[in-house]
Amino acid sequence: MVDATTRFFEDLDRRGYEPLLAKTSGTVRFDLHEGAQTRHWLLAIDHGRLDVTQEDREADTVIGASPVLFDDIADGREHGLAALLRGDMTVTGDARLVVQVERIFPGSPDARGPRRRFAGEVH
Amino acid sequence: MGQGNTVRILDGNTFVVCEDTGDIEATPSEPTGLFSIDTRFLSTWVLSVNGERLNSLSYDDLQYFESRFFLVPGMATHYVDAKLSIIRERVVGGSFREQLTILNHDEKAVDLEVRMDAASDFADLFQVKDEILNKKGEIYTEVEADKLRLGYRRGNFRRETIISSSVSARYDSRGFAYTIHLEPNQQWEATIDVQTRAVGPGDRDLRMGLRAHGGERLALQHDLEQWIADAPKVNSEHGRVASTYRRSLIDLAALRFSPLSLGGATLPAAGLPWFMTMFGRDSILTCLQTLPFTPQLSKTTLRILASLQGSRFDDFRDEDPGRILHEMRYGETAAFEEQPHSPYYGSVDATPLFVVLLDEYERWTGDVALVKELEQESRAALRWIDSYADLIGNGYIWYERRNTETGLENQCWKDSWDSISYSDGTLPPFPRATCEVQGYAYDAKVRGARMAREFWGDPEFAAQLEREAAELKERFNRDWWVADGGYYALALDPDGRQCDVLSSNIGHLLWSGIVLPERAEQIAQHLVGPRLFSGWGVRTLAEGETRYNPIGYHNGTIWPFDNSFIAWGLRRYGFGEEAATIANGILDAATYFDGRLPEAFGGYPRELTKFPVEYPTACSPQAWSTGTPLLLLRTMLGLEPHEGHLAVEPRLPVGMGRIEVLDIPGRWGRVDAFARGRLDLHSLAD
Repeated sequence: MVDATTRFFEDLDRRGYEPLLAKTSGTVRFDLHEGAQTRHWLLAIDHGRLDVTQEDREADTVIGASPVLFDDIADGREHGLAALLRGDMTVTGDARLVVQVERIFPGSPDARGPRRRFAGEVH
Repeated sequence: MGQGNTVRILDGNTFVVCEDTGDIEATPSEPTGLFSIDTRFLSTWVLSVNGERLNSLSYDDLQYFESRFFLVPGMATHYVDAKLSIIRERVVGGSFREQLTILNHDEKAVDLEVRMDAASDFADLFQVKDEILNKKGEIYTEVEADKLRLGYRRGNFRRETIISSSVSARYDSRGFAYTIHLEPNQQWEATIDVQTRAVGPGDRDLRMGLRAHGGERLALQHDLEQWIADAPKVNSEHGRVASTYRRSLIDLAALRFSPLSLGGATLPAAGLPWFMTMFGRDSILTCLQTLPFTPQLSKTTLRILASLQGSRFDDFRDEDPGRILHEMRYGETAAFEEQPHSPYYGSVDATPLFVVLLDEYERWTGDVALVKELEQESRAALRWIDSYADLIGNGYIWYERRNTETGLENQCWKDSWDSISYSDGTLPPFPRATCEVQGYAYDAKVRGARMAREFWGDPEFAAQLEREAAELKERFNRDWWVADGGYYALALDPDGRQCDVLSSNIGHLLWSGIVLPERAEQIAQHLVGPRLFSGWGVRTLAEGETRYNPIGYHNGTIWPFDNSFIAWGLRRYGFGEEAATIANGILDAATYFDGRLPEAFGGYPRELTKFPVEYPTACSPQAWSTGTPLLLLRTMLGLEPHEGHLAVEPRLPVGMGRIEVLDIPGRWGRVDAFARGRLDLHSLAD
C-alpha cells in the first residue's frame, strides 16, 4: 500500500498543472527526516506547471517534516500552516512559496463543508 | 482596556504596553507586556534603584515606535528632594531596546544598586485577560555570563526572550543588576536589548528576518517621514481637519503590518494593541477608506488576501474554496489548534468586499495589471457568493458556523452575540443573512462585470454578472423592505422572516447601490433622523428598538467607520447635505479625542452629553476608525475618479471653512482639490 505522501506527489505529477499555482514559479524541496534517513521530494513549479522528482537538489524553499506528520498533511488530517507555527514543520528559503503551495494540500477527509438547509450539501 | 495610564509603542506586530513608569507587571485586568507574533515575551519588567521603585514625573510618546519616561526614586511626596533622575528611553523596531540614563544631582558621590526584574509567562494573546494556570508547556530560564534567556517550550514550539546589556550586568534567574558609583553631576548609561525569538529547529527564527520596517530607530523615523511625504497634504482654514488628518496618517503608519508571506510589504492591521494582525474585513474596509491617500496599502492587501484565499473545505477554520480569510494569528493557541486562526475564514463580507476593493483600486490607480493578476481569485470569490455562501438556496449570502466551539456566531461586521435581533428583541436562528452583505454581493457583481468586460476579455461573464446583479436587486427590494417603517430589515431568518429593526446597516446599502432610487429618500431621512442620528453620528441600532442601549456594542453605540461608509452612500444617491451632516458630527467628535477616533462611542444624544462618551473597552487606534476622516474628506469633497480624471464636487458645511487637499495620487498623476464650506446644515437638523 502506497503512503499518502507518495499518492499526493504522484497525483501532482500526473496532473502536471495546478491552477492555484498559475502565478507561482520556483522549486520546493520536501525533506522528510526519519532518524538518519531523509526522503526527498522536489516540486518544480513553472506558472502552475508541475514537475515532481525525488532528487536532492538545491531549491528556493526547503520544507522539513517527519514522514508521519507529512503523511497526515498530505491527506488533510493535519494543517500545514498550523504545523509550521508549532515548529513541527520547518521552512528555509522563500516563505512566500510555502503559503502558495500549502493551498494545494487537501482539506480534512471528515469536513462536511457548507450544508444547504433544505437541499443537503452545497457541494 | 486599562487605557488610563498605559503607554503603548509598536512596530508591526511587536509592541509594548506598560505603566507610566515604563514598568510591566502583567495581571489579567492590566494585560501589560512586551508582545510579538501574538505572544507575550515579557510579563515582568520592573526597574528599581537601591531597592526602591520609581515614580513617574512625565512620559512622552515621541513617535509610535518610541517613548521616554522621566523618573525619580521614592513616593510622589519626595519629589522635591530627589537627588537622582532616571530616564528610560525605549524603541520598538523588531527588537525592544531600552536606554537607561541615571543622573546624580547631589553634591556628594552616590553608590547605587540598579536592578531590573524580568520574567515572562509567554501567554498567548488570547489568554492575557485570563488567569494563566495550566500552560501545557514548560517555562525555563538560562542565566549566562552576558545574557539572560527566558524561554517556553511545548513540543517543537519554542519562544525565547533574550536580554543583554551594553554595560556589563549581573544576571540571575529573576533579572539583572548593576552596581554603580556616581560622582556629583556624573551620569551613567546602559542600553538593554531584548530580542524576541520564535525558535525553530536549528535555532532559526520562524520569522526569518522579515520586518515591516528597517528596525533601527533612524530607519523607522525615515520611513515615517517618507510615508507622510508620499501622502497628499491637507490644509484647512480651521486647524481641526488638517490636524485630524495628520493624526490619522501617522496612526495608519503605525498600523501597517508585514505578514510573513509577503516579503516585507505592508497592509493595515486591524487595531492596536490587540489586533495587530490581518483581518480580511478590517483591512479591506480600511483600504477602501484610504484609497485616495495611500493606494499602495490596497495593492498589498489584495495580494496577501488573494494568496491566502480558501482552497478547500475545513470545518474547523470555516474555510471554503474562494472564501477570503477573516483573521490570521501566530500564537500558541493557533499553532496547537485550540483557536482556528491559522487562518480563520468565518466572515461573509470579506469575500464580496475583496472584489469591490479590486475594482475601486483600479478606478483610482489605473493599475490594470493587478486586476489581471487577480482575475482567478476574483472569479473564485464571485463563485463563492453564489455557491457555498447561499446556505438556503434562495440567492442570498447566509452564515452558520461549522466550528461550533471556537468559530464566530455572527460573521458580519456586527459580530457580537446579540447584534442581530427581531424587533421584539429575540434572536433569530441560524443560518442568518444580514442586509449589508447582500449589498456588498450586489456591488461585487456590478464591479466584477466591469472588470470582466474591460480587462478580462469576457463579455459573456460580464453580462451574466449584470443579470444576476439586477435579479438580486429586485429580489432584495422585495424580501427585505419593511413597508410600514420605510426601510430595509437588518436581517432575514432561515424562514424568510424579517429582523425588522431600524439599524445603521441601511446606510451601507446606499453605498453598495442596491437601494431603489425611489426608496433612497426615505433611507436618507432615517439616517439623519432622530432615532438613528445622535448629533455626533448614526447609531448602530435606532433609539426605540427593544435592544437599543446607548452603550450596547452593536446595539446603539456609534462607530465612526460605519458612519464614513454611510456618508459615502448618501453622496452616491445625491444626498450631499445629509452626508455633510454626518461628516461634520464625526469630525467634531474627533476633536474630543485629539483627532484619534475610537472604535466606538456612546449613542447618547449630543445635546445631552455635550461630548462623545467613549465606549469603555474600545481599542484605539483602530484601523477603520483611523481611516474614517480620510473617507469623510473624500465624501465631503466629492472626490470621484471619472473617465481618467479626478472629479471634485464639494459639499461642505459652512463651519468647515476652506479645505484643500494637495497632490492626490491616481491615474491622473497628482492633482489638487479645493473646497469651501457653503452648506447651512441647521435647516436640516431642525
